[in-house]
Amino acid sequence: MDRRTAIQNLALVIGGAVLLPHCTKSSPTAHFKHFDITFDQQTLITDMAETIIPKTNTPGATDLNLYGFVMKMMDECAKKEDQTAFMKGLGEFDSVTKKMFNKTFADCSKKEREDVLKSFEKTDNGYSKDLQAFYQGVKGLTVFGYTESKYFMTKEIVYELVPGRYNAWYPVKNGKAVAKNG
Amino acid sequence: MANLNIDSAKERTFDAIVIGSGMSGGWAAKELTGKGLKTLMLERGRDVKHLKDYPTTNLYPWEFEHRGEVPTDIREANPVVNRCYAFKEDAMHFFVKDHEHPYVQTKPFDWIRGYQVGGKSLLWARQTQRWSDFDFEGPARDGFAVDWPIRYKDIAPWYSYVEKFAGISGNKDGLAELPDGEFLPPFPLNAVESYFSKHVKEKYQGRHVISARCAHLSKPNQIHLDQGRSQCQERTLCQRGCPFGGYFSANASTVPWALKSGNLTLRPFSVVQSIIYDEQKGKATGVRVIDTNTKETIDYYARIIFVNAAALNTNLILLNSTSHRFPNGLGNDSGVLGKYVAFHNYSAHIGAEVEGFEEWATDGRNPAGGGYIPRFRNVFKQETDFLRGYACGLGAYRGYKHKYEGVGEDFKAGLSGKEYGPWYIGSHLMGETIPKATNFVSLDPSQKDTWGVPLLKISVDYDDNDMKMQKDYVEQLTEMFTSAGFKNIKAETNHQAPGLDIHEMGGARMGNDPKTSVLNKWNQIHTCKNVFVTDGASMTSTSCQNPSLTYMAFTARAADYAVSEMQKGNI
Repeated sequence: MDRRTAIQNLALVIGGAVLLPHCTKSSPTAHFKHFDITFDQQTLITDMAETIIPKTNTPGATDLNLYGFVMKMMDECAKKEDQTAFMKGLGEFDSVTKKMFNKTFADCSKKEREDVLKSFEKTDNGYSKDLQAFYQGVKGLTVFGYTESKYFMTKEIVYELVPGRYNAWYPVKNGKAVAKNG
Repeated sequence: MANLNIDSAKERTFDAIVIGSGMSGGWAAKELTGKGLKTLMLERGRDVKHLKDYPTTNLYPWEFEHRGEVPTDIREANPVVNRCYAFKEDAMHFFVKDHEHPYVQTKPFDWIRGYQVGGKSLLWARQTQRWSDFDFEGPARDGFAVDWPIRYKDIAPWYSYVEKFAGISGNKDGLAELPDGEFLPPFPLNAVESYFSKHVKEKYQGRHVISARCAHLSKPNQIHLDQGRSQCQERTLCQRGCPFGGYFSANASTVPWALKSGNLTLRPFSVVQSIIYDEQKGKATGVRVIDTNTKETIDYYARIIFVNAAALNTNLILLNSTSHRFPNGLGNDSGVLGKYVAFHNYSAHIGAEVEGFEEWATDGRNPAGGGYIPRFRNVFKQETDFLRGYACGLGAYRGYKHKYEGVGEDFKAGLSGKEYGPWYIGSHLMGETIPKATNFVSLDPSQKDTWGVPLLKISVDYDDNDMKMQKDYVEQLTEMFTSAGFKNIKAETNHQAPGLDIHEMGGARMGNDPKTSVLNKWNQIHTCKNVFVTDGASMTSTSCQNPSLTYMAFTARAADYAVSEMQKGNI
């Protein structure tokens, strides 16, 4: 019986500290179980996550170490073929920013970075499957890590471990709950 | 071999032995100890103590290393159990890993197991419906399997008995095909489920959408508080083990109750190799156990033995219990032991969008999961080109609306939006399957497990009847959803292997005739009267209702009978 999977699939729900392979000054490449990520690539993915979930008056991707989460999940929970596509796409990424702005993502302004990422969400961008897989991997896991972070689940959409109620008829007006949630 | 000196044998002698500690074994232990029998409960896995051994129960989502997902290496090493919906980071420690306990699949069969005290009662979906005479008279009316040796009236009082103790929430719906029970208040249908219920009632004679009946303490009675359990808190994290004892599990309910009697000896890490049959006495005298820690073989003795190892493992134990008298397995003069295995057909589901009902959502979580459509096909008479029928799980839900496109500040703010999106409704098929001699389990002639016990070979498959039923479910539910005005209806069939329903039954079926069945109407082996089988193995047919409640009722009834027979000196 599986009544809730469908609901869970719809709901964007939940973050915390993530252990990561260390990189040292002498060896700035991070060695994961299934791939290595150079220092520049770490910076790229960190900047992408921050562009997706920027720091505002609330924590952003860097504050929540979503780079760490993205890489851990890609390393430990993705299938081999998805990891391969992700790494190939990562390798091709500079070509996109070069073509759009003739510089690296690191050198792009905030607006330019947003434009680069948004270009992946256009249907006719002509990007390779691997590039798309890389972008979707970073985006999906950044959002997943954000919405499943302690911050998000205690301050934004509060997760209740013990609801203590099921109200089957919960009044809604103009799309919003009439009573304050929780 | 065991040390057979007399003092030691005395220490290893009990009034009763219960093999298995799950859904039905827990009940056997509770009933037998409650009647004063010194009882040994054997569990092949480790102990799982209520509260103490639920390591994930109070973890927040962000406290899981992979936020609930199962790492790839574990998934790939365990393709069978990985297909189970509940095999997630929060509960995977309660499931048997493929490589730990191999079995042989002649045809694909996903055998989902929980080897620990409490068994799968920790993990079940907690849906509890009584079976009716439309089920118990089914084989006789429709000409399959053999006639059940009991009728609803025989089991009805025992349903009441177990329901009062376990705590079943539900509504008295007054349906002949789904008899009412001793209910705690139901979890109500929400706005869309209620609308669909009303619509179906008006448009379809004999079809009903009711609140799902489930083993949750919506409002506990004293008997539940006495078990140390309390009101369900609607966490819907049941598979982790419940700190409130809000749902029924052997761990929260029957096993501690039996321990409290002072009459129960619980022995985990005890794989049962076989039941010992005494040729002179003409009955079983005990159970041969392998201690999984010491690898030692130890014999335990008792006057009666309850076999509750879960359906297929019960078959394995009986098949492996050979003697001069029973060369083909205990009680298997008929040759039917291991045969007529059946399951539930879960091979289709349907989903749709629902327009309207914007003034309502739900708040909190529903442990019952939503609604239930009792079987409406071929109930009162045969009316389709397939035998029997199906029940449907049903649930409607509405979450917040979130836009996945975009990046940056607005996108981020949008993720925190609390504006409700549309309603969705979904249903899944739960069909009865027909037990057949060609769906069977047997012992692999050469391969053995770590303990020297033969591997179980499973040969179970769907048939034409199942495919016709699947087609009918898709047609009928599509029509009912269309008629109700639901949009974007998508029905899907799947090719999930039998077993993933986790409702495997039969192999040691009950019947009137020892020539065609293993057990009599008291779940007693026809030809070895001090052995009782009261788990899924005993089922003559499968109904389409969930089976656990029926196992509980059969177990309590058989225990009562067994003790009265002991008192009369008959066994």
